[in-house]
Amino acid sequence: MGTNKEESVKKLFTAESAKIDTNRGEPYYDELFIKCQNRLEDLKQLKPLNNRMDFTQSIEEQGLERRDFFKWASATTAMLMLPASFTPLVAEAAVLMNRVPVIWVELSDCAGNSEALLRSDGPQIDEIILDIISLEFHETLQAASGHQAEKQMEEAMEHFKGKYLLFVEGAVPLGMDGNFGTIGAGGETFVDHLHRAAEGAAAVVAVGSCATYGGIPAAAPNPTDAVGVMDVVKGKPLINISACPANPSNMVGVILHYVLTGAVPELDSLLRPKFAFGYRIHDNCERRAHFDAGEYVEEWGDEGAKNNFCLYKVGCKGPMTFNNCSIIRYNEGVNWPIGVGRGCIGCSEPDFWDKYAYERPMSNANIKAPTGGVEKTVDEFGLGLLTAAGVGIAIHAAASAVVGKKEDGGEA
Amino acid sequence: MAKQGYKQIKRMTPAMRIIHWVNVVSMIIAIATGLYIAAPYYQTFIADPAVDKYVMAWNRWGHFIVAIIFDVTSILVAYLFFFSRFEQPYKKVLPTAKNIKEFSAVAVNLLTLNRKKNFDSTHTDSFNTVYFSIFHLLLAWMLFTGLQMYVHGLASGESSIGAWWPAMLHLVTDWTIPVSSWMLGGFDSNMATLMDVRITHHYTMWFLIVWVVFHIYYQVWRTIFWKEADIAIVIGGSKFVKEDKSSKELDTH
Repeated sequence: MGTNKEESVKKLFTAESAKIDTNRGEPYYDELFIKCQNRLEDLKQLKPLNNRMDFTQSIEEQGLERRDFFKWASATTAMLMLPASFTPLVAEAAVLMNRVPVIWVELSDCAGNSEALLRSDGPQIDEIILDIISLEFHETLQAASGHQAEKQMEEAMEHFKGKYLLFVEGAVPLGMDGNFGTIGAGGETFVDHLHRAAEGAAAVVAVGSCATYGGIPAAAPNPTDAVGVMDVVKGKPLINISACPANPSNMVGVILHYVLTGAVPELDSLLRPKFAFGYRIHDNCERRAHFDAGEYVEEWGDEGAKNNFCLYKVGCKGPMTFNNCSIIRYNEGVNWPIGVGRGCIGCSEPDFWDKYAYERPMSNANIKAPTGGVEKTVDEFGLGLLTAAGVGIAIHAAASAVVGKKEDGGEA
Repeated sequence: MAKQGYKQIKRMTPAMRIIHWVNVVSMIIAIATGLYIAAPYYQTFIADPAVDKYVMAWNRWGHFIVAIIFDVTSILVAYLFFFSRFEQPYKKVLPTAKNIKEFSAVAVNLLTLNRKKNFDSTHTDSFNTVYFSIFHLLLAWMLFTGLQMYVHGLASGESSIGAWWPAMLHLVTDWTIPVSSWMLGGFDSNMATLMDVRITHHYTMWFLIVWVVFHIYYQVWRTIFWKEADIAIVIGGSKFVKEDKSSKELDTH
């Protein structure tokens, strides 16, 4: 699946975990600032594409003030790891987002990432901005269907060839020649659909864990041989925004970064933007003090749970998960999984369904033994190994006692 | 003073014995704290506020301290492996005809319950050296995977002693992520994840425990059946062999 042997060997010695360079020095930012300014000037010359709303008007209609918008702009600047001097540029870029066309396709998915954008307790600036981006095609949201929808997509791909951002939601099933999933009246397979849509894209953004790594469709035993977009699309700038669902703030961040600089943000080895996935959840968790203290929720609803104790023993995977949800949370900072009293399931990491989401510490979870075969916990496997060694030793000791030969005869 | 008719043979230098016992203590602490870190097995429902208890933090602190001690002893052992003035163990793990013969002879000795003993038991044999080398490879794997998990906490790329420290740790340990994944399922089965590193670190603990169990058994068994006081090596540094035998076989060296 995915990579071949040679590539894997190469990977062994070039693997990189998340490393962030948060301060690249003044000359770098000065140059970037000028570059961004020029880029925004160019974008201003363009007319808004197909735009449904004017940005300033739409935030007013939603009852938000200009002050809220600037608060958002400075927070987003910080999230993108840019110096505060970039705030006016970020604000300007947000207004100009309707100049960048976006095509959104769905493959093996539950539309959860689309839902994440649409469903929040009230329209917030992130969501408004996603309303006004020039979304040229989105299967779930558009009114068109059938041949009409296909035609619309073709027109959009033709018209914005080489300029549009392709957002992909969902895994790509490769089994049975891709026939596990087809789309449209022509019965095009998901994989062909993706290749066709990616061909003319300026960059591809995989949204959610399914599009990033195959996610839940790729969980064991992966009957459809599902993979992520990065295993299928080659030779295009690719950005992964993993998590289940991906945080709308991070989607906006990626689009904004693209609008602002014309380039993809800095990525980690899993092609995730470092501004979002450079943080470990555990290090910014509000329950971290309870972790260090050894105060754990032992079972759901116990005294510890009532006291907001650490969720490590009920399987929280914050210590091995990189994402910014412990900082920015979901739905404009309203809450996040640990805030509602359930552990992190590592949804932004590869293979999260098999390796993270089992709601107990790793050593108590059933994981395939190195030999394959029956699923056992690591400790059960280890105790089995120890028992086998003990039995072997006992047999050897007993046999030695009965028929063993002591070198120095006479004495024994 | 050696018993009449026996000759005292030096087998471990004071440095080797100190390293041995430091490793023993470190390993007990590493296992006790490591199991707690993996899945906290005792509760701390006591009235003190969180900041006073600090139970997980102390366990992790203890785990890191013994890891650092293991780092130091491993570097020393690696040095002695090649450059010791006493015995250079690397000479005993090379797959030469002589070593293979000796290795087989010692294995046969163990399997025949000491009814056959066709090798010189005065010096460290090839079987033992290979066995100890396996231990140190397992330990090295623990150190690399452990430091990989440790550097996840330095996500900012900064540390109190400078940016070089996390940078170096990434450089030296990032390869353990794909290698762990490969160990757990081969090149083609899964994407490399940080969890794979935890899983192999935890598995390796069990392999080390099994290693120790056999190690202790074998030393005791040798002492009982060879009758050369092998168990004394790790305390006094020497064992005893019959005069005639040692003089005969030492001639061949």
